[in-house]
Amino acid sequence: MDNVLTYMTFIPLAGAVVVLMLPNNAKLIRWFSAAVTVPPLAMAVWLFSHFDRAQAGFQFVEPYEWIPAYNIKYIMGIDGLSISMVLLTALLSFICIFASFGIDKAVKGYFSLFLMLDAGMMGVFCALDFFLFYVFWEMMLLPMYFLIGIWGGPRREYAAIKFFLYTLFGSVLMLLAILALYFALDPHTFDMRILIAESGRYSTKVLTIWPFNLWGWSFQHVIWMALFIGFAIKIPAFPFHTWLPDAHVEAPTAISVILAGVLLKMGTYGILRINFPMLPVATADLAYWFLGALGAWNIIYGAFCAMAQKDLKKLVAYSSVSHMGYVMLGMASFTTQGLNGAVLQMFNHGTITGMMFLLVGVVYDRAHHREINGFGGLAAIMPVYTGATALAFFASMGLPGLSGFISEILVLLGTWQKYPVLTILGASGVILTAGYLLWTIQRVYLGPPNEKYLKMPDINGREIFTLVPLGVIVIILGIYPGVVLDLLRASLDQINAIVIPHLHS
Amino acid sequence: MDLKNVASLTFFLPEIILSAAILLLIVLDLLAQNKRSLALVAVAACVGALIATFDLYSAQPGWLFHRMIVLDNFSLFFKVFALAATILCIWMSLGSNEIKTVHQGEYYTLLLTCALGMFFMASSSNLLMAYLSLELVSLTSYILTGFLPHNRRSSEAALKYLIYGGVASGTMIYGMSWIFGMTGSLDYAAIQTALGQNVYNKVALFIAFVFILAGFGYKIVFVPFHMWSPDVYQGAPTPFTAFLSVASNAAGMAIMIRFFYPGVSRVLPGGDWASLTGVEWPQVLLFLSMVTMTVGNFCALNQRNVKRMLAYSGIAHAGYMMMGLAILNNEGLQAVLFYIVVYLIMNLGAFLVVGMVANVTGDEDIENYRGLAWRGAIVPAVCLAVFLFSLTGLPPFAGFIGKFFLFSAVIRQGGAFAVLAVVAALNSVVSLYYYAKIIKTMFLDQPNPEAKTISIAVYDFSLMIPLTVLTLVLGIYFAPLAQYTSQSLRFFVK
Amino acid sequence: MDHPIQTDFIRWIVFLPLLGAIVNGLLGAKIQKSWGKGAIGVIACAPVVVAFILSVNALLTLKGLEPEKRFLIDNLYPWIHLGSLKVDMAFMVDPLSAVMILVVTGIGGLIHIYATGYMHDDKAFWRFFAYLNLFTAAMLTLVLGDSLMLLFVGWEGVGLCSYALIGFWYQDHANARAGNKAFIVNRVGDFGFVLGMFLLFWSLDAQGHGSLTIREMIKWAPSIKDSLIWGWPVVTVATLFLFIGATGKSAQIPLFVWLPDAMAGPTPVSALIHAATMVTAGVYMTARMNVFFSMAPDTLNVIAIIGVATALLAATIALTQNDIKKILAYSTVSQLGYMFIGVGVGGYAAAIFHLMTHAFFKACLFLGAGSVIHAMHHEQDMRKMGGLKNYLPITFWTFAISVLAIAGTPFTAGFFSKDEILWLAFTSDHGSPYLWSLGVAGAGMTAFYMFRQFFMVFFGECRADHHTQEHLHESPKSMTLPLVVLAIGAAVAGYIGLPGVLGGSQFAHWLEPVIYAHEGGHASHALEWGLMAVSVTVAAFGFIVSYLMYYRGILSPEPFAKLAGGFFYRLFDRKWYFDEIYQVIFVNGILLLARIGSLFDQYVIDGIVDGSASLTRFASWLNGLFDDYIIDGLVNAVANVTFWAGNKLRRLQTGNINGYLFVILIAMVFAIYVKVHYWS
Repeated sequence: MDNVLTYMTFIPLAGAVVVLMLPNNAKLIRWFSAAVTVPPLAMAVWLFSHFDRAQAGFQFVEPYEWIPAYNIKYIMGIDGLSISMVLLTALLSFICIFASFGIDKAVKGYFSLFLMLDAGMMGVFCALDFFLFYVFWEMMLLPMYFLIGIWGGPRREYAAIKFFLYTLFGSVLMLLAILALYFALDPHTFDMRILIAESGRYSTKVLTIWPFNLWGWSFQHVIWMALFIGFAIKIPAFPFHTWLPDAHVEAPTAISVILAGVLLKMGTYGILRINFPMLPVATADLAYWFLGALGAWNIIYGAFCAMAQKDLKKLVAYSSVSHMGYVMLGMASFTTQGLNGAVLQMFNHGTITGMMFLLVGVVYDRAHHREINGFGGLAAIMPVYTGATALAFFASMGLPGLSGFISEILVLLGTWQKYPVLTILGASGVILTAGYLLWTIQRVYLGPPNEKYLKMPDINGREIFTLVPLGVIVIILGIYPGVVLDLLRASLDQINAIVIPHLHS
Repeated sequence: MDLKNVASLTFFLPEIILSAAILLLIVLDLLAQNKRSLALVAVAACVGALIATFDLYSAQPGWLFHRMIVLDNFSLFFKVFALAATILCIWMSLGSNEIKTVHQGEYYTLLLTCALGMFFMASSSNLLMAYLSLELVSLTSYILTGFLPHNRRSSEAALKYLIYGGVASGTMIYGMSWIFGMTGSLDYAAIQTALGQNVYNKVALFIAFVFILAGFGYKIVFVPFHMWSPDVYQGAPTPFTAFLSVASNAAGMAIMIRFFYPGVSRVLPGGDWASLTGVEWPQVLLFLSMVTMTVGNFCALNQRNVKRMLAYSGIAHAGYMMMGLAILNNEGLQAVLFYIVVYLIMNLGAFLVVGMVANVTGDEDIENYRGLAWRGAIVPAVCLAVFLFSLTGLPPFAGFIGKFFLFSAVIRQGGAFAVLAVVAALNSVVSLYYYAKIIKTMFLDQPNPEAKTISIAVYDFSLMIPLTVLTLVLGIYFAPLAQYTSQSLRFFVK
Repeated sequence: MDHPIQTDFIRWIVFLPLLGAIVNGLLGAKIQKSWGKGAIGVIACAPVVVAFILSVNALLTLKGLEPEKRFLIDNLYPWIHLGSLKVDMAFMVDPLSAVMILVVTGIGGLIHIYATGYMHDDKAFWRFFAYLNLFTAAMLTLVLGDSLMLLFVGWEGVGLCSYALIGFWYQDHANARAGNKAFIVNRVGDFGFVLGMFLLFWSLDAQGHGSLTIREMIKWAPSIKDSLIWGWPVVTVATLFLFIGATGKSAQIPLFVWLPDAMAGPTPVSALIHAATMVTAGVYMTARMNVFFSMAPDTLNVIAIIGVATALLAATIALTQNDIKKILAYSTVSQLGYMFIGVGVGGYAAAIFHLMTHAFFKACLFLGAGSVIHAMHHEQDMRKMGGLKNYLPITFWTFAISVLAIAGTPFTAGFFSKDEILWLAFTSDHGSPYLWSLGVAGAGMTAFYMFRQFFMVFFGECRADHHTQEHLHESPKSMTLPLVVLAIGAAVAGYIGLPGVLGGSQFAHWLEPVIYAHEGGHASHALEWGLMAVSVTVAAFGFIVSYLMYYRGILSPEPFAKLAGGFFYRLFDRKWYFDEIYQVIFVNGILLLARIGSLFDQYVIDGIVDGSASLTRFASWLNGLFDDYIIDGLVNAVANVTFWAGNKLRRLQTGNINGYLFVILIAMVFAIYVKVHYWS
C-alpha cells in the first residue's frame, strides 16, 4: 500500500469538500462524514500491523518534490513517535464524529470543518518536511476557530479568538525558527530527516547582542526557545495554559475531546520531534531541569486548580494541564523509561481524557449544566454511566491495571534517576489527583439521589458506542502496555541517544 | 542599447495603445448610448496593451527616448501588473452601484490615464521623468477620488488628497533638485557613477533622500506619510479604492526600487546590493517599515468602518513590503514583487466583497456584516474570510507565501535583522485580531432580526470566485509566480 | 533459587476470583434477577474455594522440596520491558506467600460464605460479591506478585476495593466520605511505597543489577550496602519510604486514621479487609523485603517505636469506645502495632505468625460482632446490648474463644504469637526491656477492653428495646459455620509456632528460606518463663479489672474516667484529636491552596494574557486619539500662529489636513536632526 499516509491525510480533506456539496440532509451528512473517517482508521490498523517495531528510523516515507526552487518537498513518513499519535488521531476522529451526531446547527459546515481539522491533525503527525509541517500546523487553527466559535458555549467568541491568537503567537515564532534552521544548513532544506542528521552543524557559539551575552545562549538556544514557546502554548505548559480552560469549556463535546486528545499532544510531539533531535545541545542545556521543573509544576498547579473548580468540564480541563505535566517531566528525564513513559502518557491521556470529556458531555446533554454540586446520587439513577465514569476517573488517577498507571509510573521511575526531588513533587500530584477525582465522584455520583434528575435516562447506545473502544484500550494498555511500548521504544531510544552525549551532569 | 525618439516608438507600443484608447474613449463618450460599452473598449485596450507588453519580453532591454525611460523585465513586470489591476478594477466598477451614478466615459478615461502614468513610473530612469509620471498618476487619482458627485465625503477626501499630494511631491522635487545640484545629472546611471566617486556631503545627500522619500512615501503610504489614506480610501468609490490600494502602491514600490537600487546602489556578485552613498537610507527604511506596520495594525484594531480598516491594514502591508526593500538583497526585492502580486489578489478580493455588501447595505459599517453568513450570503462571507486570512498570512493561502518570502529574506540576513522579523511576525498576530473581528461578525454573531438578507448578483461571483481560488492555489503551488518574479528582477544598468 | 520451578496453576489462584468478579460485575444484575442470589453466591464463593485448594496444593508442592529449593514461579508474559527495567507478569509461591495465600483464600473463603448469609437482604447483593472477589484477586496479586511493581498493583488494587466496599452503601454521604478517606490516606502511603521502589531500583541499577523482581533485588541487596543518597544510606531511606507505605496500608501512626472510619462498610468487609488480609499487607511487605530492612537498623528502630506507640495509642482509645465494631477496629490497629514491634526487632517470622493467628481470632471476632449486629437489626452500640449469650449461643462461644485468644490466655493462638513478639522485643539485638514493658502494658489494656466488650455484649440483662428483643435469634448456618471454624483456628493455630521452651517454632523454621532473620537473644529458659509469666499476669490483671467493673459491677469506671479532670477520658474518647488536627492542617490546608491556586490562575496568569490584549487595544485607541485630537490641537496651534491662513483653511472644514502636513514636517526635521547629531 503506497502513499498510505497521504491517503489518511487527504481522504478526510476530500470528504470535507464533498460534504459541502451534499444536499442539506443532516442524517446523510452525519453518516457520510462517519464513513469518511473509516478508511483512515482502517489504514491506521494496517500501519499498526505492518510497522517494523525494530526499526528506529522513519517508515512508509513518501518523498515528493513540491517547490524545487526553494527545496520545499512533500515528505510524509512516520516513526515510533508519530505512529502512536497517528493511531490516536484516527481513532479519536472516528469516535468524535459519532459524538457529534447531536449537532443540529449548520450541520454541513460543522462536519466539513471537522473533517478539515482531521486532515490537518493527521498531516502534522505525518509531515517530515518542515514547511509542510507548518502548513498543516496552521491549517488546523482555522477549522478549530470556527468549531469553537460557532458551535461552542456561551462565551465561545472569547474562547475561540483567545485560542486563535494564542496559538498564532506561538506559531509565528516557530515560523521564524523554521526559517532560521532552513538557512542554517547549506544547501538550504526543510527536510526534517536532514535537519536531524546534520544537527551537529548548528552553531553553538555564544551570541552577544551588545552589551548582553544572553545568559550564554547560542543560536541553538534561541531557536530552541522560539520553538519551545510555540509548542509550550499547545501543551499547554504553565504559564501559557490559560487558553485551555476557556477553549475546553466552551467547545462542543467532540471538539473538547479532539483538543485534549490530539491538539495538546502536538506540543509535546513537536518538542520530541524537533527540539530534541535537531537542537541537542540546547536541549541538554535548557530541557534539563527547566523542562522537568516546568512539568512538575504543571502537575501540582493543574491539580490544585482542578480541585477548586465548580464546573465539571473545567475540572477535566485542568486535569489535562496536570497530566500533560507528566509528559514534560518524563521527557526531561532523558531515561528510556521516562521518555517512553512520556509518549505512552501522551497516548493514554488522549484516550482517558477523551473518555472523560465524552462522559461530561453525556450528563451535560441531559441536565444542561455542569455544576459539580448541582448533581448528587447519579450512581443510583444512571448505574452504567457511573460505571463508565469510574473507569475513566480511576484510569486518570493512575490506578494499576489501567493504562494511566503504566505511563505515570514509568515517567516517575524514569525521572527519579535524574531528579528525585522533582519526582517526589510529581508523585505527590498522584495524591492530589486522587483527592479531587474522588471528591468529584462523591459529589456527583454518590449520596442520596437528586430528585430533580430521578427521571434522567441512562447512557444510550450511541454514547456507549463512543466510549467502549476507549475503555477497552484503557484496560488493555493497563494489562499489556507492550502493544504501544513496542512501537515507541526503538525510535525514542534513538532520539534520546542524540541528546544524552550533550548532557553535562 | 540607447535609442533616439523615433527608434524608441517600436518598443513603446503598449503606451501608444493606451494613449489611443484614452483619446478614443473621450470621443466615444459623446456618441455611445450604452455607457457599459465604454468599459468593454477600455478592457479591450488593456488586453491589447497586455499582449503588446508580453511581446516586448522578446525585445532586448535598453534605454528609450534619450535615456528617459528604460525597457527591462522589471518595468515590464509592473506594466503587466498595472494592466491586470486596471482590468480587474474596471470589472469591479461594472458591478458597483456607485459608478453607475457617474460619467462612466471620463471615469474609464481617467483610469486608463492613471495606468499609463504607472507605466512611466515603472520605467522612468530619470528623476524628472519619475516626477512627471508620479504627478500624472497623482492628478488622475485626485480626480477619481472625488468622482462621486454630490458626495461630501468623496470631494472632501479628494481635496485632502490633493493638498497632501501636492505638498509631498513638492517636497520630493525639491529633494531631487538637491541631487541634481550635487551630481549635476538627473539620469540614474549618471547619478550612480557620480555617487561612485563618493565625494559629496553626506548630510546634504541625506536631506535630499529624506525629501525624496516624502514623495515615495505618500504613494506607497508609509508612516509618516500615511495620514491621507484612511480618509481617501473611505471617500473614494470602492472600485477605485481597491485600485489605489494595490496599483498606486505597487507603482510607488517600482519607482522607489528603481531609484534606490539601480539608482544609488550597485549590485554585488551573488545578488546582494551595496549602497553607494554613505547615507544610511536602508536603516531609515528599516526603521520606517517597523513603525509603519505597527502603526497600521494598531490603528486598524479599533476601526468600525471596514473600508477604513482596510486602509490601515494597507498601511501595515506597505510596512511589510518595505522590509524587503530595506535589506539590500535580491531575495528581498523578489519577495516584494511576489507580495505585490499576492496583495493585489487578496486585497482586491476583499474590497470586492466589501463593495458587494455596500451595494446592498449602503455603507461599510461593520454592523452590516453581523451574521452575514447566516443571511444568505454564505459564499461571499467565506470568500471574504479567505481573503482576510490570507491578508493575515495564514497557510494554506497566498498571503502566507508572501509573508514567508519576506520573512525568509529578512532571516537570511540574520543578525539584528532578526529583530525586524520578530516585530513583523508579532504584527501579523496583532493583525489577526481585527481581521478576525470581521470574520467573527460574519460567522459567530447572530444576525439582527431586522437585518435584511443579502443577495449577491450572480454576476459578482464571476470575479470573486476566481480570486478566491487563486488565493488558495497560490498558497499551495506558487512555483511559477515565484519564478516569474525572480526573472522580473533584471534591471537594465548600462 | 536461580532456576525456580515453573508451574502454570498459580495464575489461577489469582484469576479465578478475578473471573468471579468479572462475571458478577458485568452480568450480576441479570443473574440475580433470573437465577436469584444463590447463583451469585455460588459464582462468588466457588472460585475462592478452588483457589484455596490450589493454595494447599502449592503448599504441599513446596513441602515436597528441600528448603532452599522451595520456590514456584508462574511466568505469564513480559509486562514492562524498558532498558534495565524488566517486569514480567509473573506470580511466585515461596514459604512466605504460601502462608499468606492460605490465610487469604482460607479465611477469605469462610468470610465469603458468611457474607452470603449476612448480606442476604441487600438489593445490590451481586455488586457486593463482585467487589469482594475483586478484592480477593487483588490481595492475591499483592501476595503472589513476583516483582515490587506487581506487588504494587495488588497494593493499590486492595485499596480501590476497600474504597468501594467501605462506601458500599454509597447513598449515605458518611460512608462515601469514609471511603474517600481510606483511599486518599492509602494513597499517601502508596506515594512513599513507589518512591522506595524507585530508589531501590536505581541504586541497584547503579551497581549494574537494576531490577524490580523481588528475588533479584534480594540477591543483589548487599551490593548497595554502602550507597548513599542525600548523605544517608540508601537502604535506610528506601526502607523508610517503604515503611511509609506500610503505615498507610497497615494503619500505623501517623496514617491509621482511616481504619476506624472504614467500619462504615458491611461487617464481612471489616472482617476480611480490615482485620484479616489487607491491613496486614504492610507487615507482609516488610517481611518480603526483610533483607533490606535488616540492613537498615535505624529504620528498624523507627518501626519498633511506631509499632509500640500505635499499639498503646490504639489500645487507650479502645478503652473508651462503645461501638462494638469500633473497639475491634482499634484493637486491630493495636495488634498490627504488635506485628510491627515484631518486625522492628527483626522478628519477621514472629510478625507473620501473629499476623496469621490474628487473622483467625480477629476475623472470628468481627464475624461474631456481625452476627450480633445482624441479630440486633444493625444496632452497634454496646450500651443497648447485654445478656445475649442465651439468644446467640454459637456466636457467644466462638466469640469467647477469640476473646481469650486475643487477650493472650495461655495455650490459645494469640498467646503463642504475642508472646513470641514480646520475647523478641526483650531479647533481640534491636529490642530492649522498655519496648517489652510497653508491649506488656498494651497487652494488659487489650485484655481489659476485650473482656469489657465481651461482658457488655453477652452478660447482664438485655438493654435492647422490646421489639428487638422479641426478634433476637441465632444467625443462619451460613454465618455460624465460619464462626465455628475460625474459633477452632483461634484456639489451636498457635501450636505450629511454639516458643523455644516448648520445643521451638516450626513456623519460623518453615519461613527460614525466605527470612534470613537473625532472631538473636537465646537467653536462659528461666528468663523466657519469667517474661511469659509477667505478661500473663498483666493480662490477667486486665481481665480481673474489667470483670469487676462490667460483670460484677462492684468496681465503678467513673473514678477512672474522672482521673485528671476527665482529661484522659476525653483524650482517648476523641482519639487523641488526630482527625481534628488532620482536618485542620491537611484537608483545609490543601483546599485553601487549591482555592488560592485557581484564583491566581484566573486573575494573575489569565489577567496578564487579557491585560496584554487590552493593552494593545488601548494603544490603538490612543493612536486613534492621536489622529483625532493631538493633530487637531496642532491644527489650532498652527491656525492661531498664521491667523488668516488658518482662517482660510478652517473654511475648508477639513482642519486635519494641515495637521497631517505638520506631521510630515516634524518627521523630516526629526530625521535630519538625528542624522546630523547622532549618525555623523
